[in-house]
Formats: sequence, structure tokens, C-alpha cells
Amino acid sequence: MLDITNLERRWFKYKLKRIFPYGLLVTLILVLGLSIPLIFSKGSPAPIDSLPKNSIKTAISTPVETTNEESSMILQPSMQFIQSMGAVPETDTTVPDTTLLGSSKNSVTSNTVKLPPVEASSSQSQNVKVPIAPTIKAPLPLVKGKLTSIKRDDVAFDIHEIEDRFKNNSNPNLGLYIAHYHYDHGNYAEAYNYALKTNAINSSMDDSWLIFAKSLVKLGKEDQAKKTLQLYISNSNSQNAKNYLETLTKETSK
Amino acid sequence: MEPSLFSKPRDLFVDVVNPKDYVQIDSVSHIYQSLKNSVQKPLKMILLYGRPGTGKSMLLHKLHHDLSKHQKVYMIDIPIIDEDDFLRVLAQKTYSYASREPLSLTKFLELSAAVNFPIIPIVLLDEAQLYSSALMEKIRLISDARALKFVITLHKTDNEEIIAKEHFQTRIWESIELHNASYEELKIYIQKKLLKANCFDVANMINDNNIKLINKLTRGNYRDANKLMFALFTLYTWYEEHNPHKIKYNALSKKYIEMAAIHTGLIRA
Ligand SMILES: Nc1ncnc2c1ncn2[C@@H]1O[C@H](COP(=O)(O)OP(=O)(O)OP(=O)(O)O)[C@@H](O)[C@H]1O
Ligand SMILES: [Mg+2]
Repeated sequence: MLDITNLERRWFKYKLKRIFPYGLLVTLILVLGLSIPLIFSKGSPAPIDSLPKNSIKTAISTPVETTNEESSMILQPSMQFIQSMGAVPETDTTVPDTTLLGSSKNSVTSNTVKLPPVEASSSQSQNVKVPIAPTIKAPLPLVKGKLTSIKRDDVAFDIHEIEDRFKNNSNPNLGLYIAHYHYDHGNYAEAYNYALKTNAINSSMDDSWLIFAKSLVKLGKEDQAKKTLQLYISNSNSQNAKNYLETLTKETSK
Repeated sequence: MEPSLFSKPRDLFVDVVNPKDYVQIDSVSHIYQSLKNSVQKPLKMILLYGRPGTGKSMLLHKLHHDLSKHQKVYMIDIPIIDEDDFLRVLAQKTYSYASREPLSLTKFLELSAAVNFPIIPIVLLDEAQLYSSALMEKIRLISDARALKFVITLHKTDNEEIIAKEHFQTRIWESIELHNASYEELKIYIQKKLLKANCFDVANMINDNNIKLINKLTRGNYRDANKLMFALFTLYTWYEEHNPHKIKYNALSKKYIEMAAIHTGLIRA
């Protein structure tokens, strides 16, 4: 549930923070306004009005900037896929890609304010260069005849990215996918956790319940696994679950 | 307890993909039509791409729902990244070919040749960025052999957009991009959702400034909009129960929208 009082407090702080720069600006202008007559009386009129304008600009541009950063933070994953698509024989995307990216980035930044992009663009170009290297090292085996022997070792994607996405979108399919992934990699506790989360989001996915039960078995909690399965069967009448429960009981009775 | 005015609107914005909740938005309907047309073209593979939360899965499920009335369509929304497993599951779904053994591509194509459907069945693959290049190549070969037709969705980042476009512009791909909602579209999305569920009172509370703020906070992202609206109406249900005199019914409160945004992380505070 929502913690309303806490939320109200945070909102209040947020408002204060937003008002603060403008408050500062106003006091600055006030101070300057008060000091004008003083300076004026000493006889140097010119440089005054250039000062406050600058300060206005910076004060306004800071909040905008941070939101931009946020948007690029959210949109990170899946380089792996494109990169692997790039490795498909018929096109040699690697070289033109970098140039394309570079040029487009330039055009964007030149349209916007002159200020910050040095850091940002350098980190982006790193983003581009680093992942492309591995595709060159391991070009796609040409696809003829013995396709079945190709293993998916080129799927070295970052499971954490997917986990983050799951956290964000609570898509049960992703949850199940992650649970599978961990199970396949022997991380049964993680598999258990993700299957549990997935079940909470969508309680009618056979696979998820099976992974959940299987993880429990791997964690040495067969009894709990059986109980869970029975519970699920009574709700869903799932044949898959029944089959698995059967094999489980057989195995343990041996 | 009396049912709250805001609990129903709240539940409308739970972030799930169900084709029954599909809301018709002009630009999306347009895309949807061209998607339906493309599906009829032989040999093309269709790529539906866009940022997270732009409605790719929703469109794919809608397509599944609508097409399945007329032809064979199969949805694989949980990516099967193991290559042997993929063909096995595909053969089982499309040709009811049950096998515990891994299936080679040759065998798969033999199976499909033996079946010979009047209309090529369509396979919908969600979250295709998780498939390996080798598996994608197999998928392409299956499509080339006219055994199956594929529609895939792919989500990706700003940087990759250009690369992907380049690559997918080869003749086999027909790519369709989904975007975040514009101000108008977001307005339609929220209003239609509420009206469809007969939440007239609440729909009337939402004014243009409210939508502007919501649009600014979510940048027109449907998922973020869902999260925000869900949190917002959760707040309203709370106030309705504990502090009803605070609620003003002539418009949505800017403060509550911002609080909801803080809660969902759209505002960092
Ligand atoms: N036309 C629409 N009608 C109703 N709801 C929609 C529509 N488009 C998107 N939504 C809602 O927006 C949310 C996000 O959409 P969806 O899950 O399809 O995004 P996505 O593009 O598949 O994202 P991801 O790349 O993260 O998988 C869903 O809850 C969905 O219900
Ligand atoms: Mg999706």
C-alpha cells in the first residue's frame, strides 16, 4: 500500500526544491537591484544587465538536462540482439553504424543548447564500440546443413538488464523467462524467486509453477514442492503439473 | 463498505496486455491496418519495433486475437531461446508434431512440406531481441521456404534505432515502428479507457492541463501512463476513504498527480 504521509512529505520537499532556484534567482535580482544604485553612484553603468540574463539561462537549463539523462537511462538494453543481427552474413553493418550514429548525435547536439554534451557523447560512443568488437571475433557460422550444432553461446546478454525490465514492466513472460534462465544456470534460489514473482503476477502459467516446484526440489524442499503442486493442480487441473508430481512421488519413493 | 468512485478507474490501469482492453488510437489503428495488410504478403517478415511501453505486445496480441478467427496463428510470447527447443515447440504448435527429440531445420522443413496449408500459418514472436542471431537466421530460412510467416516485436534503445533500421531495411523485412503517444493520443487513450468502463464522473474530472502534466511526466509512454494513473487513483481511493473533504471533484489535482509520479519514480524526489 501507499504510505501517504511519507509521499506527502516527499512531495513537499520536491516542491521546495523546485521553487528554490527561482527563489534564489529572485533574491539575486533583488540584491543586484539594490546594489545598482550603489554601483551607479560610483559611475560604471555598462556591465550590469548582462549578468542576470546568464544566471537565468543556467537556472532554467538544469532541470531540462536531467530529464534527458533519465530518458536515455531507461532505454538501455538489447544491444546484443542488434549486434547479433548485424553479424548475419549479408550486410556489413559495423563500420557504417558508428559513423551514422556519430553524425546523427552531432546534428542533435548542435541543434540544442551549446552547454554540456562532452561527457554524454563520449560515453555513448563507448557504448557503441565496445559491444561490436565481440561480433568480429566470433562471426556467425555460415548457415548451411549442420545448423543444429550451433549453440547459443552468442547470447551472452546481460540477464540483469532483463531483470531490470521485469522490475519495470512486471511482464509475467519476462519473469518466467528469467526464472528459466536461472534454473538453467543452476541458480535455483533465484529461479525460485522469479517464479514466485511471476506466479504472483499471473497465477495460471503452468511453466512458472513447474519451475517453481523444480527449484524447490533442487533446493532440497521436495515436500514443499509437492504441496505447491497439489495446490496448483487443485486450482488449475494442469496435466503438466500432474505429470511432474507423479514423477516426483515415484522418485522419492524409490 | 461503499464501493469507491476511484477503485474502478484504478483497476483499469493495471499494466497488463489483454487484447480485449485494446483502445483504438488513430495512428495505432493505421499501423494495425498496414500490419494486417503486410501479413497477407508472401515472403515478408514483419518487424514491429519501438521503445519499451509503446504497445508492441498489445498490438501483437490484438493481431493474434483478430487473425485467429480466419487463419492459423500462433503466439510465442515467452521467448524460447534454446534453438533445438524452439523448432520442437514450433513443430508441435503448428503441425501438432510431438517429439521429445531435438528437431533439425531440415526435418522441420520436411514436416511443413508434408502438411501444406492453404494459407501459410503465421507465427508471432514477442520480445525477439532475446533470440540469438543463429536462431533468427533459422527463422528467416523457414520464412524463405514459405513454411511459416513471422511477425516479430523488438524493443530497443535510442542508439540502436539507426542500426536496426539499416539492417531491417533489407528486402525481407517490412518494419513498422511504434511511437509514444502524442498529447492528443494520450488524451484519447485515457478518456476512452475510462468511458469504455462507464467511469463518466472520473473522465469528466480530467481537464487539458491534467493531460498536459501527465504527458509531460510520462512522455507519452503508455506503460508509464498506466503506472501513473494507477498510482493516482490509488491515492484518490485512499483520500476518499480517509480524508474525503480534501478531494475536489472538478479536476484532477496537480498535487496528487505529482505525488503519484513521485511514487512511480517518474519524478525523482
Ligand atoms: N492501443 C492500446 N490500447 C490499450 N492499451 C494499450 C495500448 N497500447 C498500449 N497499451 C498498454 O500499455 C502498456 C504497455 O504496452 P505493451 O506491453 O504492449 O508495450 P511493449 O511495447 O510491448 O513494451 P516492451 O518493449 O517493454 O515489451 C500495456 O499495459 C498495454 O495494455
Ligand atoms: Mg512487450
